[in-house]
Amino acid sequence: MKNLKLSAVVVALILFAGFNANAQDGNTILKKLDEVMYSPKDMTGNTEIILIDKAGKKKTRKATTIQKGTDKRLFRFTAPSSQAGIATLSLPNDVMYLYMPAFGKERRISSSVKSSKFAGTDFAYEDMEAKLFVKKYTANLLKKEGNLLVVELKPVSKKSSYLKIIAKLDKTNYYPTYMEFYDKGNKKIKTATYKFEKIGKYWNAKEITMVDLKKNHKTIMKMSGIKYDTGLTDNDFTVRKLKQ
Amino acid sequence: MEKFAKVIVKFKWLIIVAVIGLTIFFGLQLKTLTINSDVLSSLPDDDPVAKLYKDIGKKYGGNDMGMVVLETKNVFTLETLEHIKQITDSLKITEGISTVSSLTDIIDIKDVDGGIEIGKLVDEYELPQTKSQLDSLKNYVFSKDMYKGSIVSEDGTATLVMFTLLEDADKQAVAKDVKAKVKVMNLPEKLYFGGMPMMMDDISDLIMADLIWLLPVVFFLIAFILFLSFKSARGVIMPLLTAGISVIWTLGIMVLAGYELTMISNNIPIILLAVGSAYTIHVINSINLSDEKDRKKAVVKALGYIIVPVILSAVTTAIGFVSFVFGAYLTMIRDFGIFTSIGTLIALLLSIFFIPSVISGFSMYKKNVDNETKQETENKGFIANKLLQPLVNLLFKHPKYTLITWGALLLLSIGGMFLITTSVNMQEYFKEDNPTRVSEDIMQTKFGGSQPVFVAFNGNMQSPEVLKMMTKTQEYMEQSPDISTTQSVADLVQEMNDVMGEGKKIPEEQDKIEQLWFLLDGQDIMPQLVSDELDEGIVQARFESADSKAMSDFVIYMDKFVKENSSETCKIKVTGMPSVYVRMNESLLQSQFSSLLIAILLVLFIVGLILKSPSKGIYATIPIISTIAILFGFMGYAGISLDIATVLVASIALGIGIDYSIHIITGFNFHLKETGDVQKALEHTIMTSGKAIIINVVSVASGFLVLLFSQMVPLQNFGMLVALSMIGSGLGALTLLPVALILANRKKKITVK
Repeated sequence: MKNLKLSAVVVALILFAGFNANAQDGNTILKKLDEVMYSPKDMTGNTEIILIDKAGKKKTRKATTIQKGTDKRLFRFTAPSSQAGIATLSLPNDVMYLYMPAFGKERRISSSVKSSKFAGTDFAYEDMEAKLFVKKYTANLLKKEGNLLVVELKPVSKKSSYLKIIAKLDKTNYYPTYMEFYDKGNKKIKTATYKFEKIGKYWNAKEITMVDLKKNHKTIMKMSGIKYDTGLTDNDFTVRKLKQ
Repeated sequence: MEKFAKVIVKFKWLIIVAVIGLTIFFGLQLKTLTINSDVLSSLPDDDPVAKLYKDIGKKYGGNDMGMVVLETKNVFTLETLEHIKQITDSLKITEGISTVSSLTDIIDIKDVDGGIEIGKLVDEYELPQTKSQLDSLKNYVFSKDMYKGSIVSEDGTATLVMFTLLEDADKQAVAKDVKAKVKVMNLPEKLYFGGMPMMMDDISDLIMADLIWLLPVVFFLIAFILFLSFKSARGVIMPLLTAGISVIWTLGIMVLAGYELTMISNNIPIILLAVGSAYTIHVINSINLSDEKDRKKAVVKALGYIIVPVILSAVTTAIGFVSFVFGAYLTMIRDFGIFTSIGTLIALLLSIFFIPSVISGFSMYKKNVDNETKQETENKGFIANKLLQPLVNLLFKHPKYTLITWGALLLLSIGGMFLITTSVNMQEYFKEDNPTRVSEDIMQTKFGGSQPVFVAFNGNMQSPEVLKMMTKTQEYMEQSPDISTTQSVADLVQEMNDVMGEGKKIPEEQDKIEQLWFLLDGQDIMPQLVSDELDEGIVQARFESADSKAMSDFVIYMDKFVKENSSETCKIKVTGMPSVYVRMNESLLQSQFSSLLIAILLVLFIVGLILKSPSKGIYATIPIISTIAILFGFMGYAGISLDIATVLVASIALGIGIDYSIHIITGFNFHLKETGDVQKALEHTIMTSGKAIIINVVSVASGFLVLLFSQMVPLQNFGMLVALSMIGSGLGALTLLPVALILANRKKKITVK
């Protein structure tokens, strides 16, 4: 009986060691991924959000975006006209300010609900969360597939609605090309497809397509007119700026 | 008629092959026979209220919602919260389920100074542990209208885990999956399942249960009665064969015509077995009685004699079934009437074409004179000596006693008729221990009813006027004693306006509403409240009472509001179960009246036509109309209400019960011609036809009595009442009718003199 227990421990140790080796690999990859995603000091550009329902009907929203570092971001909507001028300012620690021109004032909205959808898109708040990958996930290199690395990401926070994410990364440049999101029943519920282009010295996700497999609903997020490192300061991410 | 019979015998092989071929053909169709357990689909499209109700259920996904109810002493304990979470988590990853919300997983919006905080009501990863934590959760839940009475019952003993199904999910599979998963957990709380998908799963189980359990029972019961009556294999096999084949054809035709099996039409096979075997019994009986040695000649002669009465008897029965087609509110009742009547006609065709062909084709006609006559006399002996002879004596000695007895019964019954109530509440259609009824009951007592009420608004959903009208409507509705909470997009707009710091009200400016929509767009609840194009929205509410007076009051109350407030820019329409029930109730009485009238007139016409005398037609209906009057009286005294099934009894009883009178009248005519003496003719008629009538009453009545074991309460009552009517109309034909004939002929003699 004792022996059995002992051997179980040994097996576990071996497994753990093996697992760990892969995890090491994985985490190195995550760091590289973070370098690609978050190395610009700041970014300015236009975002176009296209929502496509299962009948193929499209709704389009447009916004200008500025971002500094990993955790400061300001969206200002320009279309549709009824929502033009609505702006959101995301600051660290899950704090967001919402500005509506028709009301002429802002409100602070703090949300701890990660799984809810971001403004009607197929992106959840946790997908949009501009937090370093190394902080959000532990990674495990599963295999190499031609030009791609297949990595399994497991959320660190137990509040995540995902069990795991299977990501495919470009082997040489480490940007993601494809991700599969699994719910806690290990069922694939969403997929994201990325198109990257190099602008200056940085890689930019010029188009992300997120598909909700359950609802057969799709969100395409397109970025254009991207400029990096234009010298944005914390002053550009204040409530006063939000209201302008 | 003999010519016709000769043709049948001549083409016997063709007929046999055709019947076998058709039976195989229709039998193959049965593979695709599907069950329709969606009660709502039976609401008629030509009633705007019912149509709107169905449309809203589909459009706003109300039919795709299910719930698990947990009942315990106190919901606010760590153990129960853990169980709620366990169910919630398990449902979340169930195939076909879109969203789940429960006490442990529901978004909570709190006002904090300078802003709002969006979080979960309960942190599912750190459930409240201590008594003070649990108490403060309880106090908070009961302080908010959106939780109190909707996710936790007001007494804190029951809570809901609600889930929505994906539009294209296999609802029944999801329902089964949910039940199985929750049952495996073996939780100490009492668990119930509610909502359309769960209910449909129950109903389809129940449809199958009736088929699987009742059909063999009826089959063996009728086989047993046939055996007692005929004491021969042929006498058992042939009638059952006809009934069986007519069941296969009828169901086959149903499939081909695109119909599905409902919780009413699943009883067609049972009824066809009870009713459809009778025609073959007559045919075989007639052949048995033949004294021809040659089987072909015997068949031809017997057929020639029996064809007319058998056709008459089947056609009147079919009329009984088809008469409520014109008045029935629910389409499943209409379908049931149509196909039962088709099945009856099929059974008729088989008994006059197929059965003689088989008998003459397969040398089944063995005139074993010794044996059969012995049995015949034995049978005759028992029923004749113990029942019919005393009856005849009584009738002739004291004709007035019979009249007085019937008269007294009729008077009593007229009193009872005023006590008849109607019941349209579908809840009461299920037996008290049926899971659907139990969970409906728990919804009723703990969560203020489960009968949806919808008010639809056609107009621009972002216009302040329309939204304000919705709010006004909701306030008006909540003044009704049976509505406690209402829900609409106007509530959400008010909430969001509050989020923006301008209070819980609809903004005056449209652009503010349009911007608030930014916060609402894409939320799971939105498709349940407004249309995609934002040109229609609904107010949802639940009606708490199951009382029909309360419902009709509410319908009148709402109609008044709609009349005063509906406009071109904001059209208002009301629907919901109370409205549907009120319509159903109106139609129930109307259909009882019209179907009975149609049946009586048609039967009078056909009987009069075939007997070539309108007055005989009227005589023939005396016993059955008296029986129906007594039936209604009985229903009144026994507290059996008029419902979707019992409303059919009178017409069906008329259709089947008229046969007995027809037998007596034709027999009486025949023997009167022979003897010229009324008394002798009657005695002879009762002694010969009496036996056939008693056998028929027993077999049909016991067939219908099997429905007492049905899962559906209306069908239980239906079976009992039809059986009762059979006994009544049989007795009527054997007592009241002869007395009427005696008296009528006495009068005639007087006038002749």
